[in-house]
Amino acid sequence: MRKPIIAIPLGDPAGVGPEVVVKSLSDPNVYEVAKPLVIGNIDVVKNALTICRQQAQINRIEMPNSGRYEHGTIDLINLQNIDVAKLQLGRVQAMCGQAAYEYIEKAVKLAMDGEVEALATTPINKESLKAANISHIGHTEILEELSQTKDPLTLFEVRGMRVFFLSRHVSLRQSCDLVTKERVLDYIIRCTQALQKLGIKEGMMAVAGLNPHCGEHGLFGDEEITQVVPAIEEAQNLGYQVVGPIGADSVFHQALQGQYSAVLSLYHDQGHIATKTVDFERTISITNGLPFLRTSVDHGTAFDIAGKGIVSEVSMTEAIRLAAKYSPHFRRFSSVLFD
Amino acid sequence: MSTIVPKIALTAGEPAGIGADIILQLAQQALPAHLVVFAAPELLAQRAEQLNIPITLEVAETHQIQLHQAGKLKIIPISLVQPVKTGQLNVENATHVLTMLKRACQACLDKKFDALVTTPIHKGIINDAGYPFTGHTEFLAQQTKTSQVVMMLATSKLRVALVTTHLPLSQVSAAITFRRLKTSLEILHQALRSKFSIDQPHIAVCGLNPHAGEDGHLGTEEIITIIPVLDELRRAGMRLIGPLPADTAFTPQNLAGMDAVLTMYHDQGLPVLKSQGFGEAVNITLGLPIIRTSVDHGTALTLAGTGQANTHSLQAALNMAIDIVKHKKN
Repeated sequence: MRKPIIAIPLGDPAGVGPEVVVKSLSDPNVYEVAKPLVIGNIDVVKNALTICRQQAQINRIEMPNSGRYEHGTIDLINLQNIDVAKLQLGRVQAMCGQAAYEYIEKAVKLAMDGEVEALATTPINKESLKAANISHIGHTEILEELSQTKDPLTLFEVRGMRVFFLSRHVSLRQSCDLVTKERVLDYIIRCTQALQKLGIKEGMMAVAGLNPHCGEHGLFGDEEITQVVPAIEEAQNLGYQVVGPIGADSVFHQALQGQYSAVLSLYHDQGHIATKTVDFERTISITNGLPFLRTSVDHGTAFDIAGKGIVSEVSMTEAIRLAAKYSPHFRRFSSVLFD
Repeated sequence: MSTIVPKIALTAGEPAGIGADIILQLAQQALPAHLVVFAAPELLAQRAEQLNIPITLEVAETHQIQLHQAGKLKIIPISLVQPVKTGQLNVENATHVLTMLKRACQACLDKKFDALVTTPIHKGIINDAGYPFTGHTEFLAQQTKTSQVVMMLATSKLRVALVTTHLPLSQVSAAITFRRLKTSLEILHQALRSKFSIDQPHIAVCGLNPHAGEDGHLGTEEIITIIPVLDELRRAGMRLIGPLPADTAFTPQNLAGMDAVLTMYHDQGLPVLKSQGFGEAVNITLGLPIIRTSVDHGTALTLAGTGQANTHSLQAALNMAIDIVKHKKN
């Protein structure tokens, strides 16, 4: 089997990122599907190994194609940007914000150059970034700027269910105003394209309803009638495989049973509740629309438990696994690296 | 616990739907309650024949209180306007449904029954008949002249109560007022104590916005309304957690030790409860002067008369009504 190289930026050195990475790479199954490459700092990785009582040989390399990618070895591109004597786990530090940013920057460069197949990212801390005078508010924004792309599309996957979001970080009230025919149609098209880029070319996408029971024929809310249905009908006329609107009580349940290629949820919490309640740890975010594939854990830096070795690596492992699963299908560059 | 025989009024719901089916199926066993069905006798007889279920119907006498016997149903007849075609809604029979509900509700108010258990009605056909109707919950509030009620869905593992129910999502924000939220919490708190015998209920309260507003960055209702209400009620002694981001409110860690979750809108909590394997859900209306439970499913018109309808939710609704009657603190 051809295994893709997955770059894993280490995340905020003061958070749980380094711990989830070393724990995850202690799982031989990860090496069955992927060639994980850590972008980070050697002392931080060693520290995390000690904290988690793990043993591994660290293989410092300059270029991804010189990695060994065997279980028991952690292949690392080392950036000398952390003074471990000054590192305080669980604390906001400018040094860590800066370091976390540089790991991402390096990983993005490798991905843009086609040296790695995908990124599986670990948590960064907004406060640490701010302390380092890095103005971006989050990961996705950093990736947008570094890769010169606009408006990437986030997809959540859990237990085979895929969920897109018509809107994300706006108030519930505002999200209702964003349910317009134009936007729903645009998202049906963009989501279909995103799925195709991941190699998912078959199947029906479902659009969730906005109101309780989809408004029950306009009794409580008419956005289904005035906006959502016309958008779906137009998409169908254009040849898109899409159905809906289907009430939130049913659509995610059906999706988990494999009825749909994906669900377009109409607001943040609709899709977030449906996915995270199924399995919080295995809910993985996949960013579409970047020139490279990127998956991400959905937990934060968890400063309160950093350094204790108790963090669960399930989410990290799942993020690597999904990056590996979709890498062979993801087409952006012609220079795809395989054995 | 008392040894009284709980007296339960049961409504047959939309006559074209599965209400009659599940009642007839349920009635095939002995039950630990005095059960009286508000329905059209000819509908029950017709459906029983269609389902090939043996049933003996007799008109209920108020003075005769006895445990339900297998295969026998006591009924209070409510006339149909037109004969029922199984599975086919008929706008003419909307008044039949409303009369059924009114009479059953009144009988409970008159203390002829201890609790009301309802099967599904069809909101659309009642509205088509010219009667504004958004649901059982709202209708019963009106009938009993109750200004605010709280809809709660409960399984054996999880209770989810709603501050708003059948409201367009765009109107939810405006509906979450200080007073409404406070009253909802008071009703829920009181009901957990009186109906579920939980002396010190722990209630998790969801926020309205993504990330519960993230300190006002993603909406201000938490800061302006929700947090002040929680603070006030905490000072009054309630054990409240929140406002929690709704997407993680239902993880096992967050549910541990919680007696109920209060959600701000219909789809914040109900899809979780219905689809994520929490078991058979019962809908219960809190804050009414009567006890009312209901199935959590719809009329399932296509299943009516087929024998495919599932009685689990009705059984659960009846069990819960019986439990509440027996445990009720006077």
